[in-house]
Amino acid sequence: MSISKTFKKAAIGLTLLFGSNVAIAECGDVVLAEMNWASAGFMANVDKIILESGFGCKVSMVPGATMTTFASMNEKGQPDVAAELWTNAMREPLKLAFAEGSLHSANGQPITGLGEGWWIPPATAKKYPELKTVLDILERPDLFPDAEDPSKGAFIGCPAGWGCQLVNANLFRAFDMEKKGWKLVDPGSAAGLDGSMTKAVQRDNNWFGYYWSPTSMIGKHKMVKVPFGVPFGGADNWDGCIVKSEQDCANPKPSSWTKSVVQTVVTDKFKKQAGSDVMSYLGDRVYPGEVMNNMLVYMADNQAGGVDAAVEFLFTQEAIWTQWVSPDVANKIKKALN
Amino acid sequence: MDFDQFPSMGREDLRDFKKGIDSGFRDFSREFGEAIEQFFDPLLWFLVRLEQLLQATPWPIIIIIVGVLAWLGSRSIKIVVGSVLSFFAIGYFGMWEDTMSTLAIISVSTLVCISVGIPTGVMMARSDRAQKVVTPILDIMQTIPAFVYLIPVVMLLGIGKVPGLIAVCIYAMPPVVRLTNLGIRLVEKEALEAADAFGASSTQRLFGVQIPLALPNIFAGVNQTIMMALSMVVIASMIGVAGLGVPVLRSISNQYLALGLMNGLAIVALAIIFDRVSQEYGSRLQKHRQGTQHD
Repeated sequence: MSISKTFKKAAIGLTLLFGSNVAIAECGDVVLAEMNWASAGFMANVDKIILESGFGCKVSMVPGATMTTFASMNEKGQPDVAAELWTNAMREPLKLAFAEGSLHSANGQPITGLGEGWWIPPATAKKYPELKTVLDILERPDLFPDAEDPSKGAFIGCPAGWGCQLVNANLFRAFDMEKKGWKLVDPGSAAGLDGSMTKAVQRDNNWFGYYWSPTSMIGKHKMVKVPFGVPFGGADNWDGCIVKSEQDCANPKPSSWTKSVVQTVVTDKFKKQAGSDVMSYLGDRVYPGEVMNNMLVYMADNQAGGVDAAVEFLFTQEAIWTQWVSPDVANKIKKALN
Repeated sequence: MDFDQFPSMGREDLRDFKKGIDSGFRDFSREFGEAIEQFFDPLLWFLVRLEQLLQATPWPIIIIIVGVLAWLGSRSIKIVVGSVLSFFAIGYFGMWEDTMSTLAIISVSTLVCISVGIPTGVMMARSDRAQKVVTPILDIMQTIPAFVYLIPVVMLLGIGKVPGLIAVCIYAMPPVVRLTNLGIRLVEKEALEAADAFGASSTQRLFGVQIPLALPNIFAGVNQTIMMALSMVVIASMIGVAGLGVPVLRSISNQYLALGLMNGLAIVALAIIFDRVSQEYGSRLQKHRQGTQHD
């Protein structure tokens, strides 16, 4: 990529960042949630550029996290759009909000081929081909010794406070992992989880823990998702027990991970104010999983933020995003980019 | 010459520069990570054992020990009663185990900070050149955002107690170093001249005159170090240290107001107990010293 093009991109990024004055007041003020992980930050920035230069919205961003953003949208009606909301953790209250009409799902699957689960590094998978399922791994805690208590196997769960923390803790009990010699390690934060995985992969150590895709971590380290070896234990078990806190889930049954539901969720006010064109853009905006992973690896390799990645995406993946909007709108966006 | 834009390195070069540092660190971690981890193994062993010991000890014994330590430190019945009541409250509200974990890591961190910090402070006091070198390092340690050094620490040592302890010590050690240095430098010239007149060797001078006279200051440093270590509990929990920080993190992500408040207040209670006891102890040291001077 030439330097001048890079500068141009940076300049466009800046103009878009500080709000272009071309905004026409038909779509009004919109607040997008910029979630604190890469793919959602990237998606929010693509939305920002397209909504601003394509539909004339006045877009501002607020930082967000799964539970906080949902709570805020549900209680306060702000922010307006959560581009990538992982709704497994809040299925019940979300159902209620959809029924009430205070929130709407604008897109039921904004990214294809994604999911949560339990992963091991590629080196481990190659070295121990007999570890085909989670059940196989559970028999071998000795391969994944915990630093603080090497007699136990370390299963790296979800950071404190994430929705998946409850799920992992309950599955830990469901698979009777404590008796099998495992310890559930709380990595404390996303940085802790990423750091422990990266460290293990870089040193060719074994590692067994929770993660999700699409992420640059999975793409970069080529992590292997391990099938659970048991079928999905039914919605009653999952929704009525596994996703709840320990005291509300007395008898969790082993189960494979539920199919992850990621949605683009918008507030009622936004749906009315933005109009059908914007809503149909959000509905058509589906990122193929592979493209998303490539963007995430681009971000990681170049240490690029959501804005840089969004500009890069709009420049290089025209064939994909022009299908999401009408040719007229696409031309407006292209004009703004150039 | 164009003064509108700063002649910066350029995006690509800057990126390569950053990537170079990153991959350099990765290679370093691959090469020496294992050895560095083994170096800290005894510390980890000690941390784990102390935590297990604290958690396995029946609670009445812990409360008695807290009361006795508070009495020995402060000689004030008010502080003893306050400390014991706080521990009852902590236990009653279901934070006993987390509090024991926090106590374990804080005690060991403080010990490590003191045993590295006081000799460093002494060295700084004895050599102006050492002071010139160490002072900016202390400035960095106190002001650099914790998240910045969490990344390399985790890359090198993984998550858990030892990296947590290192993170705590980077932030909490400077006060004890600074105040040891200051305390020794503030010792009156007359006292040193007297020691020289009696023909004291430099070691005798240090341990017999300078450190005893600097003790109130050194103690203020220890006190500050403990307080700063406690304030790092939540940050340490972000890299997998068990304790009161974990529920605080959980409550941040989920808006559990009560949970966050209770665990936050438990940290405050620990801090106040440590602070009052060590301050009382420090001022008793000072009084004692003033008393002997008039003998």
